[in-house]
Amino acid sequence: MNEIKRIYNYRELLKTSIKKEVRSKYKNSFLGVVWSFFYPLLQIVVYAVIFSLILKNKQEHYTIFLCCGIIPWTFFSIAVNKSAFVIIENGNIIKKVYFPREIIPISVVTAETINFLISTIIIIGFVIFGGKGISKYILSYPVILIAQYLIILAISFIVSSICVYFRDLQHFIGIILQLLFYATPIVYSQNSIPTGFQWILKYNPMTYIINAYRDIFYYGQAIKIKPMMYMIFLGMVGVFLGFKLFNKLQRGFAEQL
Amino acid sequence: MQEYAICVKDVYKNFNVYLDKANTIKEKLLFLSRNRKEKREVLKGINLNIKKGEAVALIGTNGSGKSTLLKLMTKILYPNSGTIEINGKLTSLLELGAGFHPDFSGRENIYFNASIFGLTKKEIDEKLNDIIEFSELKNFIDNPIRTYSSGMFMRLAFAVAINVNADILLVDEILSVGDEHFQNKCIEKMLELKQKGMTMVFVTHSMESVKKLCNRAVWLYNGEIQMDGNSDEVIKKYVEVTK
Repeated sequence: MNEIKRIYNYRELLKTSIKKEVRSKYKNSFLGVVWSFFYPLLQIVVYAVIFSLILKNKQEHYTIFLCCGIIPWTFFSIAVNKSAFVIIENGNIIKKVYFPREIIPISVVTAETINFLISTIIIIGFVIFGGKGISKYILSYPVILIAQYLIILAISFIVSSICVYFRDLQHFIGIILQLLFYATPIVYSQNSIPTGFQWILKYNPMTYIINAYRDIFYYGQAIKIKPMMYMIFLGMVGVFLGFKLFNKLQRGFAEQL
Repeated sequence: MQEYAICVKDVYKNFNVYLDKANTIKEKLLFLSRNRKEKREVLKGINLNIKKGEAVALIGTNGSGKSTLLKLMTKILYPNSGTIEINGKLTSLLELGAGFHPDFSGRENIYFNASIFGLTKKEIDEKLNDIIEFSELKNFIDNPIRTYSSGMFMRLAFAVAINVNADILLVDEILSVGDEHFQNKCIEKMLELKQKGMTMVFVTHSMESVKKLCNRAVWLYNGEIQMDGNSDEVIKKYVEVTK
């Protein structure tokens, strides 16, 4: 409780860091906010061409199907990837000023959440103009977002603090994310996978997140409540443990940087 | 206990000095034996109690552990053993302008810098005019920081730092800011804050400012307290020995 109050006292810093983080993405670039649409769109086009034209995937409305997976995934992977570098990038301030270090991962994840909210417009655009139509189940979007936010924040606490001690973990993270991309039903659907490999998807939290987004946007059906509750619970436990770990490791930050 | 602002009890701090540091897992696995490190004891059993409203100077030669002690007090570093207790809101000025962003205007940087010190937007709004006035930047305040001269930069940074409401202020070697006029202004402001009952700890090599500001001085030598007492006496002895 004390810890939360400590961070709350620095809420202005949290706000300004989030703002800076969001703005820095678009500042100094000619296309500005357009980038946040352009990048995922380009990705969708590439995967759509590969998997539906070249590999002849039979999924109907494959582009919409893809888009419901890729955009939440991009949110996840960029946030995790950034976390690996963010403490080291801020080394100068960390060595010179005291402030609750937790602010750094929290603001990275929150800024990426805002970017994700913006790019959700792309999903909605695809759903409307792709001929699927919006269903009422879209209202459960915030529930999925909360689950995803918690899971990402937990990973961010862990990754950002460990990477200070082992610098080359940053490269591993990139590779692991790449593997995880294919171990999550993003370019394919869960039931198209042979039963022998199902267990991989079963233990991957992102499977449930992506499936839930797909439920509300692509299939137009209710999310599965039970797994979603598990994910939120898992996220909360993860955030708690991640916070503890971060708190322990941050004591050595100034010396390691 | 409440009469003390800072209680440092039996604090030890070591640094591991790596001669060839394996910073990566790869290197750690490949060269298990190569991790030569040297333990350097920077602080050896420091005991120091600072009363509320006291102004204390930490003096000593380079490498005596003054800055480390300050960093321990502000929780940038943590001790290997011993405890440090702080009563009240603490602000430390280890380096001016930490977190300044060159592309943003002076005004925006005030907000960013002050928020690092833990101020809320409302508090900064209230202080804004004082800060701008103290910095004497006038019309330049809305220009980007990168166009400032180094003196202007320092003045702005100092103005923010000094206007942060705190019970305890830690200052490391930054009193040599700007021209003489501004230096005097800073010292005056410090004296004013001292009158108001703020606890202050300075690290400095300028004996002049110690005499002006502090009634107590602590002389650190090789990580141990060599002498602690009235600033005039400690300085006299210190100057004699280091000559």
